Amino acid sequence: MIFEKLLQGEPSGIFGIGYEDPNTVGIICIIIILTLVVCGVRVVFAASIAGIIGLVELIGFGPALGNIGAIPYSKSVTFVLGLLPIFILIGFLAYQAGITRQLFEAAKAWVGAVPGGLAVATVFSAAGFAAVSGASTATAAVFSRIAIPEMLKEGYDKKLAAGVVAAGGTLASLIPPSAILIIYAIIVEESIGALLLAGFLPGIFSAIVYAGIIILWAKFNPTLGPPSRKYTINEKLKTLPGVLPILIVIAVIVSAIYAGWATPTEAGSLGAFVVLIMAIYNKMKLASLKIALIETAKLVAMIFSIIWGVLIFVRFLGFSGLPENFANWIVSLPYDPYIILLLILLGYVILGMFIDAIGLLLLTLPVVYPAVILLNGGPDVTADQSPFGMSFNQVSVWFGIIVVKMAEVCLITPPIGLNCFVVAGVRKDIPVTDVFKGVTLFFIADILTILALVMFPAIITWLPDLMRS
Amino acid sequence: AKTDGPSVFWKFSLWGKRRAFTEGAEMLSKRLAEETNGKFKLKIFYGGQLAKSRENWDGIKANSFEMAGICNFYHPGKNPGLMALTLPFLPLGQSFDRDAAVREKLYQHPILKAEAEKFNGIYYMTTNLPQYEFLGKGKPPMDLTGFKGMRVRAGGGVGKAMEKLGATRQTVPAPEVYTLISRGAVDAASFPYTYAHVSYKVHEVAEWFTANLSPGTSDCPYILNKTAFNKLPKQYQDLLYKLKPEALAAMKAAYKKADDKNLPMFKAKLKEIRYSDSQLADFKKIAGKPVWDEWINANKDKFDAQALLDVILNYSHSNIKN
Amino acid sequence: MFLKSLDKFLSYFEDNLILFSGISIFIVMILTSFQILSRVMGYPWPGYLEISELTISIFAFLGVAYAQKMDSHIRMELLVANLKGRIKWLVELISSFVSLLIVVILIYYSLLFAIDAYKIGDSTYDYLYPTWPAKILVPAGFFFWALRLLLEIIGYSRMLIFKNESPFGIPIIKSPEELAKEEISSIRD
Ligand code: NA
Ligand code: NA
Repeated sequence: MIFEKLLQGEPSGIFGIGYEDPNTVGIICIIIILTLVVCGVRVVFAASIAGIIGLVELIGFGPALGNIGAIPYSKSVTFVLGLLPIFILIGFLAYQAGITRQLFEAAKAWVGAVPGGLAVATVFSAAGFAAVSGASTATAAVFSRIAIPEMLKEGYDKKLAAGVVAAGGTLASLIPPSAILIIYAIIVEESIGALLLAGFLPGIFSAIVYAGIIILWAKFNPTLGPPSRKYTINEKLKTLPGVLPILIVIAVIVSAIYAGWATPTEAGSLGAFVVLIMAIYNKMKLASLKIALIETAKLVAMIFSIIWGVLIFVRFLGFSGLPENFANWIVSLPYDPYIILLLILLGYVILGMFIDAIGLLLLTLPVVYPAVILLNGGPDVTADQSPFGMSFNQVSVWFGIIVVKMAEVCLITPPIGLNCFVVAGVRKDIPVTDVFKGVTLFFIADILTILALVMFPAIITWLPDLMRS
Repeated sequence: AKTDGPSVFWKFSLWGKRRAFTEGAEMLSKRLAEETNGKFKLKIFYGGQLAKSRENWDGIKANSFEMAGICNFYHPGKNPGLMALTLPFLPLGQSFDRDAAVREKLYQHPILKAEAEKFNGIYYMTTNLPQYEFLGKGKPPMDLTGFKGMRVRAGGGVGKAMEKLGATRQTVPAPEVYTLISRGAVDAASFPYTYAHVSYKVHEVAEWFTANLSPGTSDCPYILNKTAFNKLPKQYQDLLYKLKPEALAAMKAAYKKADDKNLPMFKAKLKEIRYSDSQLADFKKIAGKPVWDEWINANKDKFDAQALLDVILNYSHSNIKN
Repeated sequence: MFLKSLDKFLSYFEDNLILFSGISIFIVMILTSFQILSRVMGYPWPGYLEISELTISIFAFLGVAYAQKMDSHIRMELLVANLKGRIKWLVELISSFVSLLIVVILIYYSLLFAIDAYKIGDSTYDYLYPTWPAKILVPAGFFFWALRLLLEIIGYSRMLIFKNESPFGIPIIKSPEELAKEEISSIRD
C-alpha cells in the first residue's frame, strides 16, 4: 500500500508519514545520514541519500528529484564560492615563493631570546604565513621542514618542537585568507568579508596565548627549550626585508579594498597573483606549479562535492521545517543560554575527534546555527536585548569563529588530528604519539582561548563592526 | 463566511528574510487559515529553503512546491516576455493601484500566460515592486548630462538607459554595493525604492538620492503551481482569488510603511534631487524610447514584443482609478 | 587484464580533466587580477563577473572522478578500517553501489536541468550569457565519477569473491600517516 504510493510518485510512499509529521521524517533521515557516515559512506553520498529519501517521502519522487537535480549547479556556481580555489592555491604558491623561511629567520632574530624562543618564533612566523595560506595542514607541513630542525639543533625537547608546529599550523584557518571560514559563510549566508575580518584578531590572540604558555613552561623547565642567543639590533634589522613579501601581499589586498579598486572577493585573486609573481621571481619550477594546480583542483572538487551534497540534505531539512522546530525546542529548554552554548561546543569537541573539520561544520551547522541564532533572540534582536549581548550579525560572526576554532582544535586531538600526523610524517624520527603529547599544552591553550572568545566577544566582533559602521 | 473543505498543505517558496516584498504572502497565508479554520495551510519558507532565488520557476515546474515568488531579472531567458516590465521610463510609478492594474492586465496576455505555462505555472498576483531610484556619492546628477561618465550599478532596462546617458554600467553583487560606494569605486546604485536601498544600507554611504526619476522597475509576481491549483476544490480556488485584494493591500501598506520610515531618513541625511516634468520628458526621449525599440527588435523573431509594450502603454493611460 | 585497461582508460580522462580544472583556476585568478587593473585604469570588462561565475562549474564538477580515484572525498573510516575479510568488502561494496546509484540519479536529473536551460534559453541576469554550457558540466563530470565508481564496484566484488586476490581498482584505506604523507608531498621544493 505504501510502496504503491512510492511507485505512483505520491508523497509518504516510503515511511507512510509525509507531511503528517515532518519532524519524524526529519529525525529518521538524520539517523539515516549518521548511520551511513559511520558505515564509511562518503559524506557527499550519505548526505545526498538521506536528503533524497526524505524529500521523496515529503513531496513524492518526481518533485523531489526535479528539485534536487538543480542543487549541485545552483549551489556551487555562486560568485563567493569562486574565492575558495584561490584561497587554496595561494598557500601552495606562497611556499614556492620562499616566504616561509625568511619569516622564520626574522621571528628568530626578534623574539628568539625569550625562554623557548625558537618555539615562540615558530608561532609568530606561522601566524605570519597564515596571512598567505588558507589551510592548516599545509602550514604545518611547511613549518615541520623549516622550524623543527633548528629547534632540535638547539637542543629543544622533541615533543615541544613537534607540538608547536602542529598547533601553529591551525592559525592559518583563523587569520585570513581561510577556506573554512568561506565554507561557514556559505552555509549560514553570512558576509564573507565580515567573517574573514573577524578571524584576524582571534588568530593573533591564539598566537599570543600559545607564546605565553611556551614562555611560562620553558621558564619553569629550561631544558625544554633554551633561549637563543641575543641578536644585535643590526642583525635584527637585516632580517626585516624577509618580512616584506608578506607585508606587500597584505598591503595589496587591504589597499585594493580600501581604495575601492576591488571587492573583497576580487582582492583574494589579486593577493594570489602577487604571490605568484614572487614565486616566479623565486624560480618556481613548472613541475611544482603543475603539482600545486592538480592538488588545488583535487581539494576544490572534494570541497564543492561535500558542499552540494550536504546542501541536498539541507534542502530536505528546509522542506521538513526541522531546524526551525529544533531551534524552538532548544530555546524552550530551562537552562541558561551559556550552559546550552557550552554543551553545543562540547558536542563539537567530541564529534571533531571522528570527522574532518569541513565535514563537521557542514553536517552540524544547518541544524545548530539556527538554534544558536534563536538562542540569542533571533534575526532582529539588538545587542542590549540578547542573552549573549550581541546583535544578530555579531552573534552570527562570533559563533562562526568559535566553531572554526573548535574544528581547528580537532586537528591536534587524537585519534585523527591530521596536523599531528603531518608533523610526524615529515619527521621520521618523531613518533606521532610524541607529537600528540607535545600538543597537550597547546590544547590547553586553545581551551583557554575559546573560553576567552566566549566571554569577550569583542575580540571577534570589533573588526567586523568597524567595517559595518 | 467560512469556507469548508479538505485539509490542504501548501508550500510557498521565497528567498531572503521577511520584508515588504513578502507581506502579501504573509497576509494570504493568514487569511486562508482564518477562512478555512486552519484547513488550508499555506506555509511560507524563507531563505531559499525550497529553491534558490533563481530556481523558483524550475521548482514550480518540478511540482516541488505550490506557490513561489519569482523575479523576472534573475532569469531573463526564462521569462523574456515579462522583461517588458523592466524597460526604462515606462509610464508607471504614479500610483500603486494603477501600476498593479497594468501588471495584472499584462499577466492576462496570451504571450505571458504561455510563458508561465511552460513551467506549469499561473501568474497569481503582482507584488508591484516600486520604481527604482538612484542613491549615490559624489557630484549629484542634477540633469540629463549629470549621469555622463558615472559608474552605476544598474541592471536590465535601467542599466541600458544609463548607458544611453553616457554612464558606465557595473555588475556588482548587491551585498558589495555598500563597500564599493563608500570606497568610491561605484558612484551610484539603483534599487527598488526605498526599502531595498535600506536593506543593503546604501543610504548610510550615499550623499544624494533621486526622488522622482522613476527610471524603471522590475516584476516579481507570485506564481501558482497549475497542477496543485487544479487539484484544489472549487471553493478553495475561489477563496484564493477572493483574498487577492487583501494580499495586494498588505503589499501596498508594507511599501508605504517602509517609505514612511525611510524617506525622512533619506531627506535628513542626503541631498534630494527632483527633476522637472520637462527634464523627465527628455530622459524618456533619450534613454527610454530607444531602449524599448531595441528590445522589440531583439525579440521580434521570438514573440510579439510590441504587443506587450502596447498593453503597458495603453492600459496605463486608460482610465483606471488612482 | 580487463580491470587494468579500464583503469588506464579512465585515468586518462581523469588526469586530463583535473589538470584542465587546475589550469582554469589559475587562469581565472590571473584574469581577475588583470580585470581589476584594467577597471582601475578606466576600462572595465563588461560581463566579466558573470563569465567568471560560470567558470566555477569547471572546477566544481570536472575533478570529482579524479578525487574519487585518489580517495579524497571525505568519509569517516573508523569502522571500515577496523573490519576484516569478507564483511569489510561487503560493506564497501554496498557503500560504493549506493554511491553509484546516487550519481546516476544526479546525472539524469542534472542533465534534464541542463537540457531545460538550453530549451528555454536560460541565461545570466545581466549580459545574457547562456547557462546551459555551465550546467551541462554537472552530468559530464558526474559521468566519469559513475564510471570510476563502477570500477570500484567491480574491484570490491572481486575481493568479495576471491578473498585472497591482491586489491585492484579500489581505494585502499589510508592511515592518518599515509594521509599525512600525501599532504606533505603536495608541498614540494
Ligand atoms: Na590563513
Ligand atoms: Na579532526
